[in-house]
Amino acid sequence: MPKLESALISLHALGRPAAGGRITATASLAVTLVYLVAVLSVPLYAPQRIVWLAVYPVVSAEMSGIGFGRVFVKSLWVLPLVALIGMFNPMIDTETAFTVGGVAVSRGWVSFTSIALRGMLAVQAVLVLTLSAGFFDMCDSMRRLGCPRVLVTQMQFTYRYMIVVIEEALGMDRARKSRGFGRKSYPLGMWGRMVGQLFVRSYERAGRIHRAMLSRGFDGTMPTPSSAAPAMNARSWTYLALWTAVIVALRLLNLDFVTPDI
Amino acid sequence: MSHHYIQFKDVSFAYPGGPEVLHGIDFRITHGEHVALLGLNGSGKSTMLLHINGLLMPSHGEVVIGDVPVTKKTLRLVRQTVGMVFQNSDDMLFMPTVAEDVAFGPRNMGLPEEEIDRRVRGALEAVGLAGLGDRPAFTLSGGQRRAAAIAAVLSMEPSILVLDEPSANLDARARRQLIDILKRFSHTVLLATHDTDMALELCPRSLVIDDGRIVADAGTAALAAAPDSPAAHLFRVAQAPAFSASTN
Repeated sequence: MPKLESALISLHALGRPAAGGRITATASLAVTLVYLVAVLSVPLYAPQRIVWLAVYPVVSAEMSGIGFGRVFVKSLWVLPLVALIGMFNPMIDTETAFTVGGVAVSRGWVSFTSIALRGMLAVQAVLVLTLSAGFFDMCDSMRRLGCPRVLVTQMQFTYRYMIVVIEEALGMDRARKSRGFGRKSYPLGMWGRMVGQLFVRSYERAGRIHRAMLSRGFDGTMPTPSSAAPAMNARSWTYLALWTAVIVALRLLNLDFVTPDI
Repeated sequence: MSHHYIQFKDVSFAYPGGPEVLHGIDFRITHGEHVALLGLNGSGKSTMLLHINGLLMPSHGEVVIGDVPVTKKTLRLVRQTVGMVFQNSDDMLFMPTVAEDVAFGPRNMGLPEEEIDRRVRGALEAVGLAGLGDRPAFTLSGGQRRAAAIAAVLSMEPSILVLDEPSANLDARARRQLIDILKRFSHTVLLATHDTDMALELCPRSLVIDDGRIVADAGTAALAAAPDSPAAHLFRVAQAPAFSASTN
């Protein structure tokens, strides 16, 4: 299947909870918040302590039926960004942290690894949350947990706008292919004009959607039913309690006898 | 608002920085009337419709819905009264499921959940989509999406229904279903369309717009039969073959 079609289908699917997910979005969101705090609180020069925290995205992805492989592949998209953030550390911090087989590894490389691991694990946890709970239930849970409405509305608009952009890109791509006779390479200027055209089309489409929303009483806040996301049940409370305990334990327990301290 | 009429009083409109596209539009549609708005592409049909629920405001003149002039202060009331079905159904379906799309308007009206549920079920049933409420809109066919867009408006229980080219891109069966749905709507209907057969079947009265001016306001059947009127010309254009098959 062409990439744009599959991206569109994936994005639509993101709006709905995973078929295997029986845990409420509120519980998943709360566990994710605990997990992010745990990951980000690990000292920068102790990446060996972060490794253990990979248990959560791996197990929860499998439990919810998403599959960790899918989550891992999607999380690779942030690797360049994470690398960009930490790329200067090895050059700035050249003090030797340890040696492996006579090769000195600097503290800069250690902190770079630490940043990369944090970034990957944080994104994986958020992916598990979004894929298992469904984007709209997740947004509703954020609202219930006190997140400002304006922020939640912006997230929902961003999600919707991504779909609009891909739908418009798909239409343009089909038109291009139908008259392109297999041609794939175009001058850079032409790609530039096509991208410009894409954003003009998307902007106009977004305007039409906004008009349709206004005509049905939209006043700037997405209306949500009082019972949009299912209420917390016993299974969800147990899930929240168990994962919080496991994450806190993995964060606080000194497992350096297994992964030696640097 | 006891009488759900639409009145345009000498309405003119120009987009910012652009030329005037509506010129002195003047008409009144009374409660329960089904009226077709006919005109070629670019004649000003959609621009005119957007004035009816305040998505555009006139540069000159006044639009009145019931007893209420359309102003920024009255938009909420006007939009509860006027249900607008846009040309592209996909622009109206943006929620994760059809039922949530249909509930979007009633929820913005602040209705209680039980009432919203009742309206959503009723609207989906009315358009033949009962049982499809949990489906995402993108999984529906074109005709079903058009029906869902209409349900999204019917759930607000509007007194006036405004539709912009509702039969565009529909196959014969979906078009017939649409006509049946609209026949059941007993309140005021204003229908912008190129589909002259549909106008003949649904709307006893037609307004004909050309270059931003109302050039005819008469019975649809009479317009179709009139030999020399601008409106009759539109009917002839709609029913004539677009290209000559002759190669001579």
